[in-house]
This record gives sequence, structure tokens and C-alpha cells, in this order.
Amino acid sequence: MDVNQYLEIFLDETNEHLQSLSDQLMILENEPENADTINEIFRAAHSLKGMAGTMGYKRMQALTHDMENVFSEIRNGKMKVTSNLVDVLFQTLDALEEYKNTIQETQDEGTNDNAALIKALQQCLDEGTGTVSEEAPAASSDAKEETSEAASANGDKKWKNIALQEHEINALKEAEEKKLNIYGCTVFIQESCILKAARAFLVFKAVEELGEIIISEPSTQDIEDEKFDFDFSLYIISEEGYDKVEAAIMSVSEIDRVIGEKVTAADAIANGEANEKAVEAKEESGASETAQPAREETAAPAAPAPAASSAPAAAPAAQGGNAPAKKGASKPVVNRTVRVDIEKLDVLMNLVSELIIAKNSLVSSAASGGQSGNSSNFNEQIEYLESVTTNLHESVMKVRMVPIESITTKFPRMIRDLSKKLNKKMELYMSGEDTELDRTVVDEIGDPLMHMLRNSADHGLESTEDRIAKGKNPTGSIFLDAYQDGNNVVIEVKDDGNGIDVEAVKRKAIERGTITAEQGENMSSKEIIDLLFLPSFSTAKVVSDVSGRGVGLDVVKSKIEALGGDVSVKTKLGEGSTFSIRLPLTLAIIQALMVIVGGETYAISLGSIDTIEDISENDVKYVEAKEVIHLRGNVIPIVRLHEVLGLEMPKESRDRMIVVIVKKGDQYAGLVVDELIGQQEIVIKSLGRYINCTSRMISGATILGDGEVALIIDANCLI
Amino acid sequence: MDEISLMNNEYDTTQFIVINIGDEQYGIDIKYVDNIVRMQKITRVPNCQDYFKGVINLRGEVVPVMSFRMKVHLPEVDYTNKTRIIIIKLEPNAPVGIIVDAVKEVVTLTDNNIDAASRSSTNNDPSYINGIGKTGGTLISLLDLNVVISEKETA
Repeated sequence: MDVNQYLEIFLDETNEHLQSLSDQLMILENEPENADTINEIFRAAHSLKGMAGTMGYKRMQALTHDMENVFSEIRNGKMKVTSNLVDVLFQTLDALEEYKNTIQETQDEGTNDNAALIKALQQCLDEGTGTVSEEAPAASSDAKEETSEAASANGDKKWKNIALQEHEINALKEAEEKKLNIYGCTVFIQESCILKAARAFLVFKAVEELGEIIISEPSTQDIEDEKFDFDFSLYIISEEGYDKVEAAIMSVSEIDRVIGEKVTAADAIANGEANEKAVEAKEESGASETAQPAREETAAPAAPAPAASSAPAAAPAAQGGNAPAKKGASKPVVNRTVRVDIEKLDVLMNLVSELIIAKNSLVSSAASGGQSGNSSNFNEQIEYLESVTTNLHESVMKVRMVPIESITTKFPRMIRDLSKKLNKKMELYMSGEDTELDRTVVDEIGDPLMHMLRNSADHGLESTEDRIAKGKNPTGSIFLDAYQDGNNVVIEVKDDGNGIDVEAVKRKAIERGTITAEQGENMSSKEIIDLLFLPSFSTAKVVSDVSGRGVGLDVVKSKIEALGGDVSVKTKLGEGSTFSIRLPLTLAIIQALMVIVGGETYAISLGSIDTIEDISENDVKYVEAKEVIHLRGNVIPIVRLHEVLGLEMPKESRDRMIVVIVKKGDQYAGLVVDELIGQQEIVIKSLGRYINCTSRMISGATILGDGEVALIIDANCLI
Repeated sequence: MDEISLMNNEYDTTQFIVINIGDEQYGIDIKYVDNIVRMQKITRVPNCQDYFKGVINLRGEVVPVMSFRMKVHLPEVDYTNKTRIIIIKLEPNAPVGIIVDAVKEVVTLTDNNIDAASRSSTNNDPSYINGIGKTGGTLISLLDLNVVISEKETA
């Protein structure tokens, strides 16, 4: 039976079932006797098994079957839910998720039997129901170690496996002729690193300052797409010594180690060729493997004991290299889709029909044109058209909007795991999960948010003993709140931990040489907290494997800023801290105020504008040699756009000036402009890759009705 | 290296667009050229690299435009009606314009008409030239576009 057409549905539903299983398991852990939950879990597991079976994914079916058995016993009251059991079940869910991802990428479930996991489930079942199992769970860890050992034995000098193309061989030979050094090296990224691609990019950048990268394995494209495990290999040509290259690579944070040495071009070519043959051989064996999956299947679940190739899913790092890597190059078989509420589509349909009516009436008025008295009618129709297009734009944007729920659902589970790992009691409270954001934004903020939650759990909250000593509730609380604020969406991660110790941050910054002691004296506490967002800065006294290596907040910041948002922190020592992310609601099209400064046209996003004021030059006061105005009880700094945009000041001094008051959170600034043109809907375009605006004041450009380009001023950068 | 170039140079030809900068002629590999447009209004971008003159509207797309003269530290000249903007696409979706004095012609060079550029060992600047083409008694400096467009400043 050809089941490909059902693949998308299968993946969708698998997702849903896995999520519901995960949710229900969380509930079950807290209320082990809840019969409704048990029934719900049983149903979800059962449907999952059925679906996997129908689609012919035998391994997935086998695993779900064993999971279902466990639930069945629980439901019948023959065994009790223990914390250990829940752990194993969560691992099972991870493994199923793994299957799902592999299927999504390759249409095949891969060759991982998860035998150790099946055994663990069986053991839970035996223990729970009183039957004695003969074998200890040690087998699973054995298997894990074996694979990782095997990998490191032949794997550390991975650059030797790079297959070289002709032009790369030429480049190497040429370099040798010029007496440049050739290095082969393999860079290992720490396995806990969240944004591997970003780290790899930094390594590339560092190396390119010293020399030239001839080839990387995997290719740069794959590295950008994070299609690699935790290491990548390079051939580098450089005039510098190897020590320098290694030092440059190691200066990037979260790099575990670098292995490399000087090689000759001949070596590199020979290595490459030898490897090519090996790859061919491997591919052949791979093909025969997939050709006879049925035979394997029948054998595997029955005798799962000495399966060295299948590590438990709990060790995703060790396992990552198995099935998915082999076919890493192929594109995912399923397109990214958005589920759209049918009501939104109806609205869209209505608007399109209105658009057609508007067009028709324009056509008819154009046909009867020339007759007097028609111009008011014509204007009316233009206005109508305008309102229709505005509505249409809004609805299309709404179609692109998805609730942030899709990323927050995995957080409770993560906090639960963290709580166990860190041995701290903590509880996650979420609100506003239905807040909607553009699909692309939602996809991007998952990692930064996860990082901030980890940060709160690890650094923010004190240990349980400390909390008791301080008279706080021993269980720490982390809050994730999302809400809409004007044209922005704000997501706050708040904890009731110890807050940020400003003095400690200052000391650390001075110690590290980030700032001088003198500078430290004069910095406000806000400025000091901002230091946390600098690369490689951490105040955690102990580096844990959850966070504390001083990475992350800088990456979080750059990621959010790339989306046009910003991050801010509020903290109170002893009471906790709040990290807020502010993101633009929509991308691409915005309402903007067009202004003229020094003869050039600029756009300012209406979302950031508070008011527009007509102010006399005499009202400008000076505070700390900076220009400010006093407006309705607020002291607002003045920014002369002529200066920041590098324009000549107008010669004749005017006694009145137009000030656009912009606002970011609760901060204000007044931008002095020459003239106002008016409000306009503009389409945001990027300035292109190569042009580099140093002050980041220009967030993009737009094309005006007359074909001219106007730049968009990012008011947030001027505050 | 020699063997390979011997193998390849039999029939391999490359087309170059020849541009004028002052008295010199430069060649741009035609496969990277997306478009050649006349000079048009350029919107200045404040605080960017000084060799970027700004951005233009190319059929609804915003394209950054750099001055070749400023990039290679030559004096600026006034724009004439021969001045052109060559739109280069090294990668899809990342166009960039280069202002040149004039566009002369398209030449076809076989590989054995292209000499490797001589690179002085004392000079650490990246060379904009990756070869010299010979055609009909004139020499054409073949531009290495990656170096021309890259953000690295030549000090």
C-alpha cells in the first residue's frame, strides 16, 4: 500500500499524541492515582501504536507496544507509578520523537531498535508486577559506552575523512608551493551547546582571520542548517603557526577541544581518497540494510540483548550519529505548514471579494471618466480600496500568526528534568500561551527562551537549602508570561530567586578586564547588568552542565535583535529577576511616519511613536550637557537626527522645532526632524547583505510611491 | 597543478564584461553579472562603509551600491552618461551594485589567454585581481569579485 500521501497526517497526529502523552505524564507524576489521566495516556499510546503499524514503521510500533503494556498494567492497578518509571517513560517519548524526526527527514524510521529502552520498560513491568528479572539495567549503559568509545577510537582525527574535490586539491598544492602551512583539524563543540551553528560560524570567522578555509566537513551549508553532530573538520591554509590557529578556535566559547596538526597536501589527498572508498563500501552495506528491513525486524525485538549499535535515547549525543547523519544531506520530505483557523480563511475570502468589487467600481468610474462631479466619487472609491487592502493585509498577517503555545508546551517537561538534574525544587507557571506571533518569529525564539528558562533555573533560583534558610518557599517559582503590548509582544521570564548581584557582576567584570575599576565606579546598576549580555560572561561560581559557561545571554540577545526585538532585565537582590523579550508583532509591512531630515526622507515605525510635539527652541534645557525637554512631567532627552545621520545642520536657526517623541518600554526620546510628510503603510526591505550600518540605527529600507528608496530609522536604537 | 591546467585549457572559455576605470580595463566574469543599469538616484545610508554610496531601487528590490573607485582607493570622478551600475549576484538573493566609469564590451577568453596575476610578496593587501586576460593586444585585469565585495577593508 502506498502510504506516502498519509505521511503528513501521520506526522501531525504523532506530534499531537506525543505532546499529549508528555503532558499527561507530567500530571501522572504528581497524581499517580488519577484514573482519567491513565486512561488518556493509554488511549494516546494505543493510537500511536496503531498508526505506526499502519504506516509500516515496525520499530516504532514495537517500542510503543511495550509502552502500552506498561500503561495497561497501571490501568489494571497491577503496578504503581514511580518516579523511576516516569523517567523511563519520558526516555521512551524521546526515542519516539527521534523516530518521528527521522521519518520526517527520510521517510524511513532508521535502524535504531532502542533495545535497551525496550528492556528497561520490560524490567519496570517485571518489577512492578512482582516478576523477577534476571538482567540488570547495566546493559544499557554498557551499550552507550561502547558506541562512544568506538567513535572516539577511529574518529578524533576526523579531518582525515574529508574527501577532496579537484579544485580543493589544486588549492592545497598551490599553498604548498607558496610555502604556506596546511593544517587539518577537527573542532569539537561541547555537547550541551544549544546554538551549534552559531558557534561553528564564530570558529569559521576566527580561522578566516588567520588564513583560508579550503574545505569543511560537513559543508558550510549543512553547518549553517545545524546538520552536524558536535564536531566538524577543516583544512586550513595559513601563514601562522598551528598554535595560533588553535588558540583562535579555542577562544570561541563552548568549544570542547580542537585536534589538529600540520599536514602536507599529499597526505590530505591520500586520506581523502582512502576515505572515498570506505564511504562507497559503507553506502553499499547501508543499502543492503534497508533492502531487508523485514528480516531484521523480526529478529530484533525478540533478542534485544547484545545490541551495541542502539544506545538509549537518553543519550542523544551518542546516538545522533546513527541513522540521521547517514542521510543528512537529503531534504526533509514534508514541507513546513501552518494550520489555519477556517474562520480566518473565511475573512480572507470575503476581503478578496470586496477587493474585486472595489476594482470593478474603479473600472466603471474610469469608463465614465471625464464627466464632471465624478472626482468625489473617485476619491470615495480610492478610500474604499484603501480600507480593503489594509484589512486584507491584517488578515494575511493573522494567517501567518501562530500562538506561542507551539513552543511553550515542551517547557514544563524541561523544567521537570532540570529540577531533577539540579536537585532543586521548582515549579513553572505559564500564562498567555495563546499570544500570537508571526510563524517565523515563533520558530526562532524557541531556543533563546529555553536558554533563559535554564538560566533562571540554574542561576536564578537558589538551592532548596538556601531557600529554606532564607525563609522562602522551598519550591522555587519560574514564570513565563506572554502578552501583547501595542505593536509588540512581550515575553517575560521571571524567577523568585536571588536576583542578580550587581556588585558581584561588577567585580567579575573588573577581574576579567571587561571594564576598569574606575569605569565600574561610575556605572549605573543598569549598565552593569547589561554587561551580562556581553559574550563569555557568567557569574555562576560553579560551572554546571546546564548553564554557566558564560554563553547564551549574548547569543540570546543577538538572536532576538536579529528578529527586530530587544531584551531587558529587571532585578532585585534577594527577590528575583525578570528578563523581558520584546518582539515586533509583524514583519514585512508596518505603518510608519514619513519625515524629512536635511532633505532626505526617512520612515519611523508608528509603533514606537508616542506623540509628535511642536516645541520652542527655548524649551530645550541641558542636563549633564545633554539636551532635554520637559514634557508633561517627563524629562525627555533630545536626539538631533541631523547629527546622528551625519547631515549638515540647517543654517537658519528656527525658533520652533518638530519633535517626534518615541518610546521603548518606559523610556522616551525626542527626535528632531525638519518636516513631517504623513503616515504611510510601508513594506520593509533589507538593505542587503554587504552594506554594514555601524550604528544599527537603520533597520531597513522601503520603496516609496515615486520609486525612491527611503530608509527606516529604528527608534529603539536611539533611546 | 600543471597537469590539470593542461587538461582543462583545450576548449574552456570564459566570457568577461570589460569595464573602464580611468585608463585601465577590468574584466568581470559574466556569470556573476545579473544586470547593468544606468546611473540613478542613490539613497545615502548613514554610518556605513565609506565605499558604499547607498542603496538603489532595482525593480522593487533594494540593492546596495558601492563605488569601485573608492573601494580600490582611486579618486572619485563625476558621473557621466557613460557611468553604469553593474549588478552582481555572487549568491542568489544577495545582489550588490558596483559603480564603474563605463562598460566597454564582452570578450571571450580561453584559459590559455589568462595569466595568473603576479602577487608581490611584500604587499599584504588582498589583491582584487585573480588573473590577467590578453585580447587583441590589450590587457584586462580580471577582478576577483569575492575580494572586491568582501567587507575586509584594505588599509
